[in-house]
Amino acid sequence: MRPALDYLRQLEHYLLGQPTAAEAEAWRVRQLVDSELAADVAAQQLLYQGLQLAGRQQLRQELELIHARLERPARRHRWWQAATGSLRSLLAARRRSR
Amino acid sequence: METTAALRQALLADRERTLTHLYQRTFPMVRRYVQQHGGTAQDAKDVFHDALITFYEKVVGETLVLSASASTYLVAVCRNLWRQELSRRTRQPLVSLTDEHAEVAEAEVAEQPALSVLEQVERLGARCKDILLAFYYFQQPLEQIATAHQYRTVRSATVQKFKCLERLRTSVRALVATVTN
Repeated sequence: MRPALDYLRQLEHYLLGQPTAAEAEAWRVRQLVDSELAADVAAQQLLYQGLQLAGRQQLRQELELIHARLERPARRHRWWQAATGSLRSLLAARRRSR
Repeated sequence: METTAALRQALLADRERTLTHLYQRTFPMVRRYVQQHGGTAQDAKDVFHDALITFYEKVVGETLVLSASASTYLVAVCRNLWRQELSRRTRQPLVSLTDEHAEVAEAEVAEQPALSVLEQVERLGARCKDILLAFYYFQQPLEQIATAHQYRTVRSATVQKFKCLERLRTSVRALVATVTN
């Protein structure tokens, strides 16, 4: 992995992984003395927040598709029932009169 | 009753199938409740989707342990959400600007930078977007992501994931630079 990517991996370990207490403290101190590192940490946190929003948006779209797929046959069924309702009650009445 | 761990596994392995199954079992009960309590089918759908999204995040994030079936839990959450929504709708016509509105506005302002990232995510290619969301939001294991995208090793998928993150970071930085200049 090239150094720039490895740097992102280290930031990720600090932000999303499970750094030891000593590692977390070392990172906190490094950020106090290195403003560039602090800015990079903040930027990476922002990326994760944006990805969270994007993920939610995608999940919402997937749920809309599931809803549309499940509701379509029900609506067709209701339409079919409405369209054939009078015919079905006529047949039922005939059956009863026999 | 399925365990939370089994449900998590099912959601990670086949999200669409598992969510469809949950949807079929639960949505009719939610719709009935909302419609019996002054709402429409659209209201029921909105409430149900909000509940399912939170539910997904909690189950895959392992911050929820179910003590009842998933359907029972979801119906209870939807009932609460609908009651809150009803009370919000009842309050709203009488209320002008309150602290609550100010809090909402503050939250929206705080979310603004993340919304800019969201726009940039949409501009990434489909492959990068898919890999990043699969890992960071849907919490799929890298082994699964590697298989889905035909990477020979997990390491290759990991490198690709960081390349995509780097691309996103670069585009967000460029955007921030344009805005601040």
